[in-house]
Amino acid sequence: MKIHRIFITLLLLCILIPVLSLVPWLFTQRWEWPQLLPTAVSLRGVLAIALKDERFLPLVFSSIAMSTVVALLSVAIGLMTARALAFYEFAGKKWLYLLALLPFLVPGTVFGMGIQVPFLKIRLAQSFWGVVIAHLMYSLPYATKLLYDASAATGRTLEEQAAVLGASDFQSFWRVSLPLLSPALLSALSMSFIVSFSQYFLTLIIGGGRVGSFSVVMVPYLNSGERSIAAGYSLVFLCICVGVFTIFEWLVNRSLRRGGYDGAQN
Amino acid sequence: MKEKKNPYWLILPQLALSMIFLYGIANGLAQSFGIMPSLGLDKMTLKYYRELFAREDFVSSLLFSVHIAFLSAFLSVLIGVFACALLVRAKKTGGRTLRIIQLPIIIPHIVVAFFIIHFFSQNGILARLLYHAGLIAAQEEFALLVFDRGGIGIILGYLWKEVPFIIYFVMSLMQAVDERLGEAAVNLGASKAQSFFRITLPLCMPTIVGGFMILFTYALGAYELPFILGATRPKALPILAYTEYTHPDLHNRPYAMAVNGVIIALTLLPIGLWSLYGRKNEDS
Repeated sequence: MKIHRIFITLLLLCILIPVLSLVPWLFTQRWEWPQLLPTAVSLRGVLAIALKDERFLPLVFSSIAMSTVVALLSVAIGLMTARALAFYEFAGKKWLYLLALLPFLVPGTVFGMGIQVPFLKIRLAQSFWGVVIAHLMYSLPYATKLLYDASAATGRTLEEQAAVLGASDFQSFWRVSLPLLSPALLSALSMSFIVSFSQYFLTLIIGGGRVGSFSVVMVPYLNSGERSIAAGYSLVFLCICVGVFTIFEWLVNRSLRRGGYDGAQN
Repeated sequence: MKEKKNPYWLILPQLALSMIFLYGIANGLAQSFGIMPSLGLDKMTLKYYRELFAREDFVSSLLFSVHIAFLSAFLSVLIGVFACALLVRAKKTGGRTLRIIQLPIIIPHIVVAFFIIHFFSQNGILARLLYHAGLIAAQEEFALLVFDRGGIGIILGYLWKEVPFIIYFVMSLMQAVDERLGEAAVNLGASKAQSFFRITLPLCMPTIVGGFMILFTYALGAYELPFILGATRPKALPILAYTEYTHPDLHNRPYAMAVNGVIIALTLLPIGLWSLYGRKNEDS
């Protein structure tokens, strides 16, 4: 039993220490070799350095806005595909399922290099919508999978009962199925947001530096060894991802308590 | 109840996106076989693949990528399954413990790259600790763990993200098997180790192999960690492909696409083997 405890504690420490190691950077101005603690500490730490850069805040907001658009589209399209797969019989259904999940098997680098020139030709490259479409390819499969599992598990009996009782197609979908699916919808939103927000290569090759995203601006600091600025970016990056995840997790739990169904819990 | 009503408007957006996706892949593959009308190339040829395999830097990239993908996936599965078994045994499969374990899954690779540099580079925390312990006298004496030719930094980064992924991926199944069958075996006189290795582990094997495949495939094609933490040479396959792709001479494009073709082949190979394995398992 004791060895179990030690190993589990060790595992949790290995996860937490790197995450927590970002906190001192908030108050760090300099951290020279070989000091274990920052050599110059002040309240004007890396965040202040980052905020001084006038590109920083607009970048944060535009990245969040773009990933929000990607997440909303993912959930809308994912829900449509999921309902078609779960509730209808049609020719080529298996192929559609495979197509929907295909991006899980093909790396983004392969797709990005194949599509850049065609996107350039139709002026989608270096545009907001070009990057959104590229991101969608890799965010959508997560949403589709989650929503398909949840739709298949809840079925549409209740929706049909509502229709029998006189509700229109839209009403029975909007007032019956949607609330039932709300936990899965929330999970799908947060997952597709995080996948889009973390995307580096596709943003780089399709956005071409014109469509700035957080990750594209951050990587050069990592490569050039400007560690304090990279730390500031990492901290904000991590807070946004973990923040989004935590908020949505909380919402999921709340709606689960109200009787919704989540595919992820299956 | 399944309806026969026409669902096609529901699948239109997905179909449109899938067409774009397939077009991107097909366009790349066509170029790898030498079909690039904009450069006046229209004859199908295996020339680029043949030349690629004759190149020393490509072969070392290939070995390097397989080395990273295999080691990171294998070690993640090994440590992850072991940790999962301990967590199931200790009944710590929910609450705060699980929430901490989920953390690395949602943290972007770029931030993970920062952690690795912060802790393992030659002026990172670990080197500083060793300096204060009197084990090394200067930064340069600390073994090169990041930007090294063996890809240790890259593998460490993947491990940090993927061990928790495997735990999460295997946990609910392992918990169910352990509750239903493992405890019964112990009651019937099996030791805890016997019940784990003879019952729980074999029953979880298909899921574990699936997890390995996901990680292996991902690490083969991923760009971030090898780009930030890798040495100049050998380059991982996706980095080599992008270097060829951004070469000013457009005649280098087919080489980039051929590297991508090799990545696709390497990805599909284990998946094909796995589905064969799955079919064999269903038969027995």
